[in-house]
Amino acid sequence: MSRAVDPLRIEYGDEVDGLTIVRQPSPAGAASFSATYVGPAGWGFDPTGEAGTARVVNQLLSSGAGPYDRMALARRLDRAGATLSTECAPESGEVTLWGPAADWEELLALLADVVLRPRLAPDDLVRVRRQLLERQMRELSQPASRADRELFRVTYPETHPYRSSGLGDPRSIARITPGRLLAFHRSHYTSGGAVLVVTAPAPLSAVERAARASFSGFAEDRGPSLRFPRVRPGTARTLPVELKGRSQVEIRIGGDSIARSDPGYPAAFLANEILGGRAQLSRLFRRVREKGGLVYHASSELEAMRFGGYWAVGAGTGPEHWEKVVSLLSKELERMERTDVSASELREIRESAIGELPLALESTADAHELAVEVAYHRLPGDYLSRWPALLRAVRPREVREAAERAMDRRHAVTVLAGPIAVSPR
Amino acid sequence: MWYRVGSKNEQPGITGASHWVEHMLFEGSPRYRKGEIDRAVLRVGGGLNAFTDTDFTAYFTTVPRDHLSVPLDFEADRMTRAAITDEEVARERTVIHSEREGNENWPEFRVEEELFQLAFRVHPYRWDALGRRRDIEQMTAEQLREYYRRFYGPKNAVLVVAGGFDARRTEAEVRRRFSKLPPWGEDVEVHDVEPAPQGERRSTLTGPGTTPYLQIGWRSPALTDPSTPATMILDTILGGESRVFSAGIGWRGRHEHPTARLYRALVEKGLAVRATSGWSPRFYPSLFTVQAQAARGVSLDRLERALESVIDRLARQGPTAREMSDVRTRIRRGAALAYEGATSVGFRIGYFSTLRSLVLEDQLYRRLLHVSAKGVQDQARSLFRPEARVVVRYEPTREAGDE
Repeated sequence: MSRAVDPLRIEYGDEVDGLTIVRQPSPAGAASFSATYVGPAGWGFDPTGEAGTARVVNQLLSSGAGPYDRMALARRLDRAGATLSTECAPESGEVTLWGPAADWEELLALLADVVLRPRLAPDDLVRVRRQLLERQMRELSQPASRADRELFRVTYPETHPYRSSGLGDPRSIARITPGRLLAFHRSHYTSGGAVLVVTAPAPLSAVERAARASFSGFAEDRGPSLRFPRVRPGTARTLPVELKGRSQVEIRIGGDSIARSDPGYPAAFLANEILGGRAQLSRLFRRVREKGGLVYHASSELEAMRFGGYWAVGAGTGPEHWEKVVSLLSKELERMERTDVSASELREIRESAIGELPLALESTADAHELAVEVAYHRLPGDYLSRWPALLRAVRPREVREAAERAMDRRHAVTVLAGPIAVSPR
Repeated sequence: MWYRVGSKNEQPGITGASHWVEHMLFEGSPRYRKGEIDRAVLRVGGGLNAFTDTDFTAYFTTVPRDHLSVPLDFEADRMTRAAITDEEVARERTVIHSEREGNENWPEFRVEEELFQLAFRVHPYRWDALGRRRDIEQMTAEQLREYYRRFYGPKNAVLVVAGGFDARRTEAEVRRRFSKLPPWGEDVEVHDVEPAPQGERRSTLTGPGTTPYLQIGWRSPALTDPSTPATMILDTILGGESRVFSAGIGWRGRHEHPTARLYRALVEKGLAVRATSGWSPRFYPSLFTVQAQAARGVSLDRLERALESVIDRLARQGPTAREMSDVRTRIRRGAALAYEGATSVGFRIGYFSTLRSLVLEDQLYRRLLHVSAKGVQDQARSLFRPEARVVVRYEPTREAGDE
């Protein structure tokens, strides 16, 4: 495949007022295009006492921008056959527009309105505040979200960007005013520290030209920086959260982990895939579900972000089985750390991860997601093409060492949320 | 591989059998021992899964084209010769139980299950595809094997292969594997006919949760009914989704639809934090639903009155010309983008071919674009009759730990 048409190769263009421009060729035969702005606007940047600000701003981006009020924007998207979605994470705020490839330039200009000129109207703030309050209650009430929440709350110290889920609480949400939203937007939806990724049937020069025409005029060209208080690893501990009246107990075991830029990331990636990341091939699925018959879901994740990361093992089970499930999850974690993975298991997992890359290029949306990840982490343009070689270079010993470092069970927090029948020992 | 077998083919005592068989079909067959199907697909970078619906069960696999023979092999192998052993059934029972328990943690699942149970007294749509708790606990391995022997076979199956391959060679490969299978598969038609509803039915559930939740359903036409396009447009106008089918994947959509009537009347006005409609066309008459989650401090009585008023207005006045024009544009533009990639195309072909035929899809698109505002209004009047209404309310209780 030549460089110009291989969606595994992304191209970095000239910056627009400090905004990094990235182009990815469309997958063969794709009728759609996709563009994403990712900026330093995650909830880790929430002003003190105003937790929830980043999520509110992010959600309000789709509530009217530039010449369009909320209804007009929604109609504009409907008529174009396009979709606008927003996402907020600890480190970043993201906006994606997906639509017909033939209209990509016009739709890119619409995305620029959304990113640069959102209305952030007071009426919409009232609505989003109401919705956020319900989500706060849901986070506390649902065993799965409650378990996640407690895991991060116990793992990270006060003021750490990963400590909360960004939903805030009733008091912090009440403090957010339209003026505060504008200020947050101005200082966090910036060109500096941000990327614009475009997957379109157009050369880089055309993407640069369109980006220059639409994406200039950011209020700030320097992105803010995050403060990361040191995470002091404590001893392994268990936190039970009794939620009566539910059917299932959600279990999480996890802790702090490595950043995406860590040189050991490929080995840590494979360690996680072996443990619980690679669905039915993973050890947790095979041991806890397939052999043990104890759970419907058992998996692990390694969320390696730009500045840091976390890992978590998760499973849901009936109240009568949770002790057994926790014991099995712990044993598998220990095995990862103590024993080298066999060459055959490593090969199976690795080739599975490599083999799925071409399938991810079936659609614009899937290919685009890969490009956004590469661009956000400032990885080289040919990173996806080199990914198979990076994985094939990893040795069994490195997987074990990565598991020990990136999924450190000795300092892990175990959370049980749900109808716990017996107090944990 | 799509089977025209779903929870509609079950009966009390073995509800959830189709879903359970779905799990068992990954547990081994003569050529593929337990776990080997997953391994054969995943190790080449593919993906596979399955899901069970009321009307069908779909097993789907995506692999690089050089490995097409792998899914053809195991689908043929497990179609009539899956190993449903006592031991594996016993082990899978707790897995399925756990799957159901995970769903029960969500009030929305409990409400919808209650809604269909209340709406249907004769037809098998009255239970969820997961099956009733008691049946999951008591169904025997022999009952499962009997169910599998009765319904699973070439007569009730549709094999869909989509993507880049040599059609002639692939057809020969398919014939080689499937033509010698026994022509099994009992009739999957459901002969129980649900009587017309004679009055409103309602129920209230309580349990852990956040704010009150409400779902209302009305008896709706089957997929093949001539009124289906008008019902789809009603769903788009009320809830905002512009989907033609919901076979595991839908059309790409925003989480919120500010142009939809329910959103404007309930979410914008501060009565609800979420509000939408839902209609999955099924083989037999089913339910058209609307649902809303109350904003804090809003009672279910108030929420229900507001929902009803949206429905009444649509039935009395019909859609506006602008709404009709917007819906048509969305359908036309959305159709061009809805299916990128072999997996999506496979779903689409599988869904329509299993429920009726691919021709139906073309017919639906054509008719969707020609439904008039009057046609939509007539359908709203015929659908939203008070005596056909089923209402389930959910009142959250505050439990320990909810803070």
